[in-house]
Amino acid sequence: MTTCLTAPRALGCLAGLLLISVLTTAPTQSVRAQGPDLGTEAQRESGKVLYLQYCSQCHGEKGDGEGYASSHLRPRPRDLTSGKFKIRTTPNGALPTHQDLVNIIRRGMPYTSMPAWPNLSDQEVSDLAYFIKTFSADFANAENVPQPVPLESGPNATNESVELGKRLYEENGCVKCHGTLGRGDGPSAPTLVDDWGHPIRAADLAQRWTFRGGSSREDIFRTMSTGLNGTPMPSFQEALPAEQRWAITDFIASLSPADGPGYENLVVARHVEEAIDLAKGAESFASAPPARFPIVGQIMEPGRSFHPPVTGVTVQAIYDADSIALLLRWHDMSAEKTGTNGPTLPVPTEEEEEPAAGAVAPADGGGSGGDPSANPFGDQEIAEPPAGQVAADPFAEPDTAPASRPSEFSDAVAVQIPSQVPAGSRQPYFIYGDAQNPVDLWFFDLARPDPLQMTGRGSESVEPNDTGDLTGVATYDQGEWSVILKRPLRATSGAAFAQGQFLPVAFSVWDGFSRERGNRRGLTAWYSIYVEPEVVPSAVGPMVQTALFILVIELALIGWVRWRNGSRARTELGDEPSQLTATRA
Amino acid sequence: MNILVVLAVAAVFGVLRFRRASLLVWAGAWWVGLYLLLRFGFTVPIPSSVVTIYMGIVTLAIAAYVSSSDERRGEIAGPLVRFMTDKRYTASLGAAVIAIPALAAANVYVQMNVPLEPPLFSRTVHPASPAEITVGEKKVDLNAGENPFRHLETSNPDEFRGHVEKGRQVYYRNCVFCHGDNLAGNGMFVHGLDPIPTNFADPGTIAMLQETFLFWRIAKGGPGLPEEGGPWATAMPAWEKFLTEEEIWDVILFLYEFTGQRPRATEEVAEP
Repeated sequence: MTTCLTAPRALGCLAGLLLISVLTTAPTQSVRAQGPDLGTEAQRESGKVLYLQYCSQCHGEKGDGEGYASSHLRPRPRDLTSGKFKIRTTPNGALPTHQDLVNIIRRGMPYTSMPAWPNLSDQEVSDLAYFIKTFSADFANAENVPQPVPLESGPNATNESVELGKRLYEENGCVKCHGTLGRGDGPSAPTLVDDWGHPIRAADLAQRWTFRGGSSREDIFRTMSTGLNGTPMPSFQEALPAEQRWAITDFIASLSPADGPGYENLVVARHVEEAIDLAKGAESFASAPPARFPIVGQIMEPGRSFHPPVTGVTVQAIYDADSIALLLRWHDMSAEKTGTNGPTLPVPTEEEEEPAAGAVAPADGGGSGGDPSANPFGDQEIAEPPAGQVAADPFAEPDTAPASRPSEFSDAVAVQIPSQVPAGSRQPYFIYGDAQNPVDLWFFDLARPDPLQMTGRGSESVEPNDTGDLTGVATYDQGEWSVILKRPLRATSGAAFAQGQFLPVAFSVWDGFSRERGNRRGLTAWYSIYVEPEVVPSAVGPMVQTALFILVIELALIGWVRWRNGSRARTELGDEPSQLTATRA
Repeated sequence: MNILVVLAVAAVFGVLRFRRASLLVWAGAWWVGLYLLLRFGFTVPIPSSVVTIYMGIVTLAIAAYVSSSDERRGEIAGPLVRFMTDKRYTASLGAAVIAIPALAAANVYVQMNVPLEPPLFSRTVHPASPAEITVGEKKVDLNAGENPFRHLETSNPDEFRGHVEKGRQVYYRNCVFCHGDNLAGNGMFVHGLDPIPTNFADPGTIAMLQETFLFWRIAKGGPGLPEEGGPWATAMPAWEKFLTEEEIWDVILFLYEFTGQRPRATEEVAEP
C-alpha cells in the first residue's frame, strides 16, 4: 500500500486502492461503531504547520476558502469549514474519508489552481488531512463517520456498453447540463451555481483530462456514483445500478482520448487541389491533420484573465493555388452572438478580482442545485435516500433558455501571424507584437458576419487594417465553435505563406459569456504553421540513387582488387598455383 | 561516466588482446569501442554533432596508424583482399555487397522522415542585465544596488518577516499561476508556455543570481530582455505595470525565504 502511495500519478494503482479499501470496509457496517479518525494532537499540529505554509494562501488561515489569493482563483478554493468536498468515495452530502482527503492533496485537481503535492511525504499529507478535519466540527461527530460506498469494479468497455451508456446518458438528464455531445453545453449549463452562489461550469466531458477528480474510468465511475458535493452534480449511486453507471462511464470515456490532450507545437497546412470554398465548411479540411494548442490566461497585460474557460483550440490548415484557410475549433458552453467584442476593448482592473462569497447572492439550494445542495449535511436522509430522487431532483427545474438574454460581449477569436516573415529568429512579441515587429491579426467577432484584419504593435496599439483580403465563416454546433478564416497566400497585409516554410502563429479566444473582451481572454504562446510542399518529395528516388552509387563503388573496388590480385598472381605463376585457381574462380 | 558501458568495452578489448586479434579487428574494435564510449559512456549525453567530430578524428588517427608502415598496411589489406578474392567467402561477399547499399538506403529513408520540428531558437537563459534601469520615476543601479529590505534580516527581524509575508501575498496573487505553489516552476499554465517558467527551488537559479538581477527580470519581464534572451516569446510580464517597487523587493525576499536559498553575494575584491 505504501509503495502505491508514493507514486501518486499511478491512477490505476490509486483506483485499485480505493476498491480495496471499499471491499474491506463496506461489508462491515459495524465499523460505524468506530469513532471518527481525527489523528493525534501531534499529527494535527504538524498538519497545521504545513497548512499555514502551503495551503493558507488560498484556503485561508481559518480554512474558509478566503485566503488572500482567492479573489484571483476560479473555481474558488474550497471552503474547508463547510465539510463539503467534491471528490469522495462516500455518499452524496457525506464527509470524505481520510483517504479521500489524502488522495486529493496528492493528486490535485487538473486545470484548477489546486496543485498536486507529490513532494510531501505520506505522513505529511496524512497530517494535513487531519488538520483540515479540524475546520469542520462535523468530522468529530460520531454520527458522521464517513462510510465509503461500494464502488464495484467494472467490465471492460465494449461498443455495446458505450451505446447503452449514450442512451442512459440521455435518459437520465445528463444532457441538461453536459450537453448531447458532452461538451458542457446543456441548456441548464449557463445557470449553474455552486452552494456558495458562484457560477460553476458543467464539466466538458469531451475533455477528460480536465476532470477535477481524475480522468481514469475508475475516477469517472466514482464521480458519477458519489456526485460532487457543493455543486449541482448529483450522485447516481442509488438511482442507477452499477452496470448502468459503468455504461455511462464507458460512454464518457469514449468521448476523448485517455492519454490526454496531445498538445502540439506545430500545425501543418496541407495542399488541396480544389479551390477552397468557404460554403463547404469543415468538410474541406478532411485531409489536414488536426493540432491542439493549449490556451492559457492572458495574465501579462492589465485586465488579466486568470481562468479562461476555453482550455484549448484545435487547428487545421489547408491551402490551394491562391489562398490558405485555417479551421479553428473550440468548446464553448454557449454561443454569444450578440453584443460586441474587440482586441482593445477596455477592461476595468477591478474585474480581475472575482467577487467574494458574501458579495454574491447565496444559492439557497436554488440555481439548479436542487436537493443535494440544499441538504449538504442531511446525513439521515443520505442514509436512506429515496431511490431515484437524488438523481431526478437536480433536473426538476424547467429548462431555461440561457441565450434568451442578449449578451453584452460576443464570442470572438483571433489568429495572429507576423506582419513580415521574420528575419532570422526575431519574432514579434507574442501578445499583439511590438513597435518594431508588428503582427497581423485575423480577428473575428462572432456577432458579426465577417472577420477583420488588424495590425498590432503591442497591446496598446491595435489598429484596423482591413484590406478586404480576409474572409471567414463561423458556425456553432452542440457546444463547439467552428471558425474558418481564409486569406490569399500573398496578401496586401501580413506575412506571405510559402511552401516548405514555417511561420509563427498564435491564437486568442474570447468567451463573451465570461465577459471576456480586450485583454481579458485566453491566448496561446507562439506556435508554428508549416506549409507542406504541394508535392512531398518521395524517399524512393534518393534511396535508389544512394544504393546504386554505393553498389557501383563496391563492385569497382572488388573488380580492381581481383584484377590486381590476378595480375600479380599471373606474374608469380607457378609459385602459388592453389592461390591462382582460387583467384580465377 | 556510465561505468557499465566502460567496463563492457574494456572487457571486449581484454578478450581481443587475449585472443591475439589481427590488426584489422583491432582497428574496427577501437572505432566501435570509442563510438560506444562517446555515445553511451557518459551520463550527460554528448551532442551528436560533437560525437561526429570526435569520430572523424578517431577515423583519421586509426587510418594514420594502420598506414604508417608497409607491414601494417599489409596486415590490414591482406584479410580484406582475401575476403574479396577467396572463393570461400563468395557468399558472404555477395551478402555484404547487397547489405551495405541497403543500409545506406535505409539511412536515407530515416533522414527524410524525421518528424517536422519548428525552427529552434537557443535563447540565453540568464543574459547580462543592463547596468541601470528606470522603474517608475526611480533609477535602480543593478550592479551596486541592493535589496533595500535585506539589511532588516539582521537589524530588525520582525520588520523583515513582515516584508517576507507581504512578498508571499504578492506571490500567491500574481506569480503562482506560472511559477506554482511550490515555486518549482510548475503552475497551472505551464503546459501552455515555452520557455517554461523558472523553477526557484532549483539551486541553479536564484541562488546563482543577485537580488538586483531578479529585480530587473521581475520589473521588466520578458519584453525587457535583450535579443539573445528571446524577449518575444517569454510570458514573464513586466511587473512594473502591476506592482510597486517595494512589492517587487518584498516578493524577492519571499522567493529566497521560501526556498531556503541565499542570493549570490556581491563579488569582493580579494586583498592582495
